[in-house]
Amino acid sequence: MPETSTPTILPDTEQEQKPKSKDQPDRGYLVICWNDPVNLMDYVTHVFQAVFGWPKARAEKHMLQVHQNGKSLLVRETFEKAEHYVHQLQGYGLTATMEKEE
Amino acid sequence: MKFLPGQKTDAAERSFMFQIDAREEGLLLVILRLYPVLENGYHRLSKDPQNAGSAEQRLLEESMAQQRAAHRRKLDELFLAPQRFFKQAAGGRRLILSGEQFEWLLQVLNDIRVGSWVRLGCPDLEASAPSAPTRASARYLEAMHLSGHFQMALLEAVK
Repeated sequence: MPETSTPTILPDTEQEQKPKSKDQPDRGYLVICWNDPVNLMDYVTHVFQAVFGWPKARAEKHMLQVHQNGKSLLVRETFEKAEHYVHQLQGYGLTATMEKEE
Repeated sequence: MKFLPGQKTDAAERSFMFQIDAREEGLLLVILRLYPVLENGYHRLSKDPQNAGSAEQRLLEESMAQQRAAHRRKLDELFLAPQRFFKQAAGGRRLILSGEQFEWLLQVLNDIRVGSWVRLGCPDLEASAPSAPTRASARYLEAMHLSGHFQMALLEAVK
């Protein structure tokens, strides 16, 4: 991912997962964004904000994970929602996939 | 191209205004004519090779094809009536985009950038420049860099 700016890394604002109940749907599908050398860092941040409605700090945190670690786990969702998010992310040209949680 | 802040901030009516000179306007229109560059088969729903021929993979490819067709129709509208987007104002030319048009243009430019990179053989962009580009590769090299330039100019508006 080509660098376009150096964002400030803020503390993680994600909420911890609550324990599953029997009535909850299977949220066992992971939406992952993979690094590539062509999508611009600011663009990736913008896409995360646009697709997930995240605040900028959270979007930047995931963008930096993609850039530095090669990938970032974006959300854990049901099959249908994960598929929807992958369609959205790929529509923006990001390298995103959904994987069944092991 | 430069973002001109101070426009409407109401989300429903949000608009973006950019100062653009005639040369940039011409270059933008030239590279937009390349769209789409990325092939529908580029997209993969999963890294799992067993997913390659699945109904879900076909659905993704159909969805991308529909989106590209819709983007292409909007581009045709732009080529048919560029004056709806580019306006002359005191102090120079302006590119004016609604919030929806802003997202659309970002996606179109990114398709051109990523698609050009794929056609160049997915090079490592942080490595040294490729030696002696051919006429065909020079076209995509130029398109990749120009679309990135316009993307960065657009993204200044949402920083």
